[in-house]
Parts: sequence; C-alpha cells; structure tokens
Amino acid sequence: MSETVSNTGPAATSSPAAASDNTAQQPQPASREPHRSMGQRLAGLIKRPEIGSIGGAILVFVLFYALAEPFRNLASFSTVLYQSAALGIPAVAVALLMIGGEFDLSAGVAVTASSLAASMFAAQITGNVWVGVGFALVLSLSIGALNGILLIKTGLHSFLVTLSTFLMLQGLNLAITKLVTGNVATGDISDLAGFDSAQSVFASYFNIFGMSISIMVFYWLAFVAVATWILLRTRVGNWIFAVGGQGDSARAVGVPLNKVKIGLFMGVGFAAWFVGMHLLFDYVTVQSGEGVGNELLYIAQAVVGGCLLTGGYGSAIGAAIGGFIFGMTTQGIIYAGWDPQWFMFFVGVMLLLATVFNAWIRRQVTRG
Amino acid sequence: MTQQKGHPLIRLTDVSKSFGPIDVLRGINLDVAAGEVCCVLGDNGAGKSTLINIIAGLHQHTSGRYTVDGHDVRFGSPREALDLGISAVYQHLALVPLLPVWRNFFLGSELTRGVWPFARLDKAQMKEITDQALQNMGIVVKDLEQPVGTLSGGQRQCVAIARAIHFGARVLILDEPTAALGVKQSGVVLKYISRAAQESGVGVVFITHNPHHAYMVGDSFAILSRGEIDLRARREELSVDDLIYRMAGGAELESLQHEMGR
Amino acid sequence: MNIGHLRRGLATATATALIGVLSFAAPALAQSNDKQPVFALISHAAPGDTFWDIERKGAEAAADKLGARLIYAHNPAASQQATLVDNVINQKVDGIALTLSHPDAMKSAVAKANRAGIPVIGLNSGLNEWKKTGVFAYIGQDPVVAGRAYGERLNTVGAKHVLCVNHEQGNVSLARRCEGIEKGFEGKTTILYVNGQDMTSVRSRILAKLQQDPSIDYIATLGSPFAMTSLRAVRMSGRQVEVTTFDLDERVVKAIQSGKIRWAVDQQPYLQGYLAIQSLWLKATNGNVIGGGQAVLTGPAFVTKDNVAQVAEFAARGTR
Repeated sequence: MSETVSNTGPAATSSPAAASDNTAQQPQPASREPHRSMGQRLAGLIKRPEIGSIGGAILVFVLFYALAEPFRNLASFSTVLYQSAALGIPAVAVALLMIGGEFDLSAGVAVTASSLAASMFAAQITGNVWVGVGFALVLSLSIGALNGILLIKTGLHSFLVTLSTFLMLQGLNLAITKLVTGNVATGDISDLAGFDSAQSVFASYFNIFGMSISIMVFYWLAFVAVATWILLRTRVGNWIFAVGGQGDSARAVGVPLNKVKIGLFMGVGFAAWFVGMHLLFDYVTVQSGEGVGNELLYIAQAVVGGCLLTGGYGSAIGAAIGGFIFGMTTQGIIYAGWDPQWFMFFVGVMLLLATVFNAWIRRQVTRG
Repeated sequence: MTQQKGHPLIRLTDVSKSFGPIDVLRGINLDVAAGEVCCVLGDNGAGKSTLINIIAGLHQHTSGRYTVDGHDVRFGSPREALDLGISAVYQHLALVPLLPVWRNFFLGSELTRGVWPFARLDKAQMKEITDQALQNMGIVVKDLEQPVGTLSGGQRQCVAIARAIHFGARVLILDEPTAALGVKQSGVVLKYISRAAQESGVGVVFITHNPHHAYMVGDSFAILSRGEIDLRARREELSVDDLIYRMAGGAELESLQHEMGR
Repeated sequence: MNIGHLRRGLATATATALIGVLSFAAPALAQSNDKQPVFALISHAAPGDTFWDIERKGAEAAADKLGARLIYAHNPAASQQATLVDNVINQKVDGIALTLSHPDAMKSAVAKANRAGIPVIGLNSGLNEWKKTGVFAYIGQDPVVAGRAYGERLNTVGAKHVLCVNHEQGNVSLARRCEGIEKGFEGKTTILYVNGQDMTSVRSRILAKLQQDPSIDYIATLGSPFAMTSLRAVRMSGRQVEVTTFDLDERVVKAIQSGKIRWAVDQQPYLQGYLAIQSLWLKATNGNVIGGGQAVLTGPAFVTKDNVAQVAEFAARGTR
C-alpha cells in the first residue's frame, strides 16, 4: 500500500528521465509519401461517419426484400423513396445543425408554419401563390435566425430554446389559422394565380422506368449533394465541424461561431420552407396541427446516419441514408402485411436494429 | 520572419494589475527577446494567468508600460495582439479533437480556390503546407486526415504551436503545455519548444510550475509569487537546484520542514 | 356509543348536507339570472382537428344567440380532459357540454359538477354509456353505430374488401368507427394506421397498402382531409378503388359532386354543438331535459351525389 503511494509521487517531477527519453526519440527523417496508397484510401473511406448506416440500410433492405413480396416492385421502391425524401430533406439540414453542436425541436412544426403562411398570405393578401411562397421563405428563415439569436443571447441549451419555439409555433399555427381563415385548416388555393407553376416546381412527378417519381426525390439528392459539398469542401463546412467539436477553440482561432450557428438554424428554416411548399402544393390544403412529432424523426435520421448527439461529427449522406432506412421501415412493414396494431412497435424495433448494427459496423472499421 | 537572435520583442516595465481593490500583479518587469525562451514559474494563484492574459491582449494592465518592438501598446482584444505577432496557445483550447490534422492547422485561415459561392477548400495545398510545417519542426504524423484527438497529447501541443508559428507568431505564449502530459510526451513538447525558438527565432513565454521542464529549455527565468517577481535570472546565473529551491519557496520551505521535525 | 346518539348524529349530518346543497345551488341560480351565462364545451379533440372545429362553431353560434359566453377546451387524454372539467367547475360555469369518449374517466368529474349544481350534458361519443356517467342528457352519434351503418352501406354497393384508414392510433372514438364498420360489413375489413400529423406519411402508407394488397376495393377514411389524400394515393396506384369517408368539408363536398368520392357520413357536428349549449340553457332556465331521458341522435346521415347539393353551400361556409 505504502509502496504504491510513494511510487506515484516522484513520477511527475522525474524530468531527468524525460530528458533521456527525449534524446531517444529523435525525429525520423521525413520521408512520408504525400500520395496515399490504395489501402490507406480504403481505410479513410470506411472511417466515414455514414459507413455504419449503409450497413443498416442494407440490413433493412434485405430483410424486407426477403419477407415482403410487394417490396420488390419498382413502384413500391418509388413510394419508399418519396417517403424518405419528404422526411429526409429537413433531416439533412438538421444533420448539419447537429454537427454544429445544436438541436432543433421546432423543425417539425416549422414546416407546417411555412405552408400555412404561404397559403394564407396568398389567399388573403395577394391572390398570387408565388408571393405567398416568397413570404413563407422570409418567415422560415426568420424563425431559424430567431432560434439562433435566442440561443446566443440567452446562452441556454438549444434543446430548451427550440423546445420553447416549438411550443410557441405550434400554438401560433393553430391560433393564427383560426384567426385568419375561421377554420383550423387553410382553404383551397388551387384556383389562385401561379398555382400550376408552383405545383410543377414543388410537387410534380416524373415517369422513369415505369415508376412515377416525385420531384422531391431529386431535390432530396440535391440537398444531400450541396450539404456534403459545403461540409467537406468549403470554409464554412470546416467551421461547422469546428464549432460543434469544440466551440471555444474555434472561436479562439477566429471562426465566427455565432454567425455559423445562426446560419445553421437558418438552413433548417430553409429546408422546412422547402418541404412546407411541397406539402402545400401537393396536398393543397394544410391542417394547422400537422408536423408535430416529425422533429424527433429528423434528429433520429441524422443520428442513425452517424451524427453524434454531442456535435462535431457526422455527415449529410448519412442523414439521407438514415431517412432511407426510416422510409423503408415504415413502408416495408405495410408491404410485409404485419399486424397494423404493432406498427409503431415494429418501427421502433427496426430503428433499434439498424442503429445497433450501425454502431457495431463502425466499431469494426475504426478498430481496423 | 526570422529575427536576429536577442532582438527584444516585448518588454513589461513596472506593470501592475488590479481587479477593483485587489492587486493581482505588482511592479512586474519582464522582457522576451527573439529566439529566447523566457520561463515564468509560479504556484497556483501567483498571477501567472493574469500575466499572460495581459501579454496576449485579454486583459489590460492598470499601470506601468508594455512595449512591443519599443512601442507602447494597450490591447483591446487578442486579435490586436495577434496582429503584432503575439499568439497564445492555451492547453485545452488549442485544437478541435474530432477534426483532421490539416483542417485544424488551417482552421479560421483556410485557403480556398474559385470565387464565391463556388469557393472551395484548396485541400491539396493546405495538406502540403501542413505536412511541410510539421516536418520542418520534426513532428511526425502518420496521416494528415486522422483526427487530432487521435494524436498523443504532446503531438497535439506541437501541432498547435506549429500552427501559431506558421501564421506569423513572433512571440509565443505557452500556458502550461506540459501540465497534463506524461514524461515522454513532455519531452516531445520541450524539444519542440527549444527548436521553435532556435530555428524560427520566435520569443517564447513558457508558463509552467515544473522547474525541471523550465531549466531544460529556458534562457531566462522569472519566478512569480503572490503577484510579484521573486526571482529574475538568466540561465548562466543559476543551477537547476537553485531553481527548484527558489521555486519550492526557499527559506519558507526550510522553516516548514524544521517545524514538522522531519 | 348508543343507538340514540348515532341517530341524532345522522340527523345533524343530513341537515348539514342539505344546507350545503342549498348554499351551493343558490349562488349558481343567482348567477344565471343576473350575469351573462357562461357555458363550457370540453372535448377529447386533438389540436387542429377539422371536425371539432365545426362542433365548436355550432356551440359558439348557440352561445351567441343566447347572449352567453362559451369556454372551449379540449384534450385527447382522458385524465387531462377530466382536469379541464375540474377547471371550469372552479370557474363556476352555468353548464358543461362534455364528450364521453372516455366515459369511465369522466364519472367523477361529472359527479363533482353535479355536486356543484352545474348541469352536464353528454355529446358526440358515448351512446351506450352516457346514462351511467351522470349526465342529464345526450346528443350525438355513436361511432360504433355510425360505423355499423357505414359497413351495411358497403354491403349494398357490393364491396369486397375495405381499408379503414385510422389517422390517430390510440384514439378511442376513431377506433370505434373502424370497429363499427367491421361489425356491419360482411366483406373483409383491414385497418391501416397512418400519422395524421404528416400527410406525406398518410399518402405513402395508403399507397403502400394498395400496392401490397390488390383485393382492396374500398377505402374508408375517418376524417375528411384524409379522404382527399386517399384519392391521390388511389390515382398514383393506378387501381380502381372507391374512396368513402366519415365527416365533411368543402373539398369533400366538391369531390362528391364530381363523383370522385362515393359518400361521406355526416354526423352533423354543428348541430351537436349547437343543441348541447341550447339544451344546457333550457335546463338552467326552464328545467327542460332534451330527449326526455332518451338519447338524441344527430346521425349517421349519408351525403352522396344525390343529396350533396343540399349541404354544399353550408360546407363552403365551414358549418357542415
């Protein structure tokens, strides 16, 4: 007992040992090959955040492919893609925000707020839907900016700040819709000017290989591509990783932390606007209570896709794959014809399976 | 960038600092020359942090003179100090652990190609420069893409120091860079500190409470005790044992030993 | 303790109780004579539900006519709904209209209101249970009864397999509508749960079900907005599936006119809300009991292409 105590004492001050150690560790001649070998390149690839989620997606796909006969049709696949895209677009923006170290619980109702605003503004004030679309964009970006500014001014955790804006928005959606239209859903705007052109932009369908594919699927891929490019190839991307990883260090080397965070919240606002416009022009009327609960799905997709809850790590591609897993699961359960009473349970089990598998794969590749 | 060795970079003359009625620093005289390592030793609460915060521009001194290259200064922010080449490397605030080495190296000063909004990171060049800068200083990193968090503690400090030097630091303030490190890792950092001073000609203010570490790299020493300079000496003027004795509290410690009868 | 002592004790207790009842009743009466009467409508609606919005409009119209004030509160959770009843009892309202979606959970709240001298009327759900909850009358359409009629109508049009689309799993009255269809319909009934808060999920899940099971030839949605979304899903599936629905709104009326939706079951929510408040007022001012101890039924009425013209203009106004 006394021996161990006396042993720990001098260790900190035994600098002569450090000095001798020092000389033994002369810098090796710099002969490192600047171009990485094939093996290193592969190692780099498998350490990407989304690698585990790809495994999870394959697992879910194979499972339903084997169990559900209708799942094998191309038409079914386009339904899966549509569901993935509708949830996946906000999830990409939420993933960026989470890499930047913050949450947004208001994203679900922000989608509804945007479509309600566009519909009511167009119907009540201008008569042209495009003006409503523009108004909704300004509003959505402002909600995002407000989230960011509140976060910075109050110094509270984003969980609390956005929970407040979530509740406020939920109330405003219901109250303002009732106030303006006298109903709890917006009216039919399909006969207003510009509706057809807006519908072709936000809610059209293409026939490819005999599948009717929603334009949302293409927008989803575009969102993923742009977000990935920003993250990995631009200064802002570097800053997003840094503010989420260690905000104080980033600030110390001159990264504009506040601007980055506000920008990320505005990115979520932009995605919410985009999906909100799709909802409006595809489904024509909007119920003011919609959107509640989706915020957690966005976060779940980002996490399944490899984002750390603590920030600083993750990818947009991963969030997209997370969305795909969720789309496959919710649709696959129906294709498999499982007892509908157990629907939510199965969704939970599949998400858990995909996430555990994801974590296992990531452990395997980072160990190697 | 390299300056003539011995050229005085910063000088504090009779500098004092009070927070309200409390005097934290009194009558500090300190100078740092190019290519030299000035070690500031002291116990916890001796005023070391306040001293480096004044030098780095985080605080302003209450009285006395602070000159850089012979000109009086009074910094409003760390940015102003940085513009004159005075850069502080804090132990825990240096790097973002999850970011790759090269991204950390250029964080906040990224190189880009193309015009906005299509400006993209010039990855190849940044990696090459990082590689070069680290090699010049004798730091060997297996892969520049590996997260900084996977480097050893000593390597991390070295990367942060190399970054400060690359981005134009003439005076480096190192806040306890070896405090959280083991013996071997401390060696890596110490070796690097003396190399940085000798080869890049930067002046180094090395804050530590370990006299052994200080004596290995220091050209001059200042012991800070209760807000005052207790000892100011050049390396030729004292041995490592002197330094340890003075650092440990000298006569005070002797009387304590006597009292405890051991 | 001897018997005589106990008797005297009992008598005192009874007298005290009587005085208590009188002292409660007196201010309640005085209130309804002197001041603007206040009625409360407390439902099990989820926020933003179109059906309940119409119910509320009916209640508000009645309150307006009577010069009364209406408090509207709602919560789909039984315990929360009971708490809302407590809340308006404390506000000393003159009458409470209460939906009986969770009849057992409402019993003690109703008893408390009765003790406070506040009349409570049941509405909407609860046709079979209203008597045991202690409300003095009931106006509505039972979801099981409506569902059964719905199922029987499916028999007459020769349907084989109906998909009952429930937009809120766990909601008692919605579940009972599907249950009713199952009871009345001789063909196969399949239930599909969708997330009513997210239209994209509503559409993709209906579409997936249609792709999965080719024998489905009828869809029954439990709320009007979901009927419109079902139409889209049917069109995208390229299948011949008829869409029918519970409840009405302006777009459903248009779709019935153009033949896209076969029928909608109307339980006249506006009428339910209106009659409930009117009956409370008559009970408070004249002691009337609507229905005279029997339930007053407001549905189910089928709106089809043949009779849709009669409701079209009212639906456009948002009151049908």
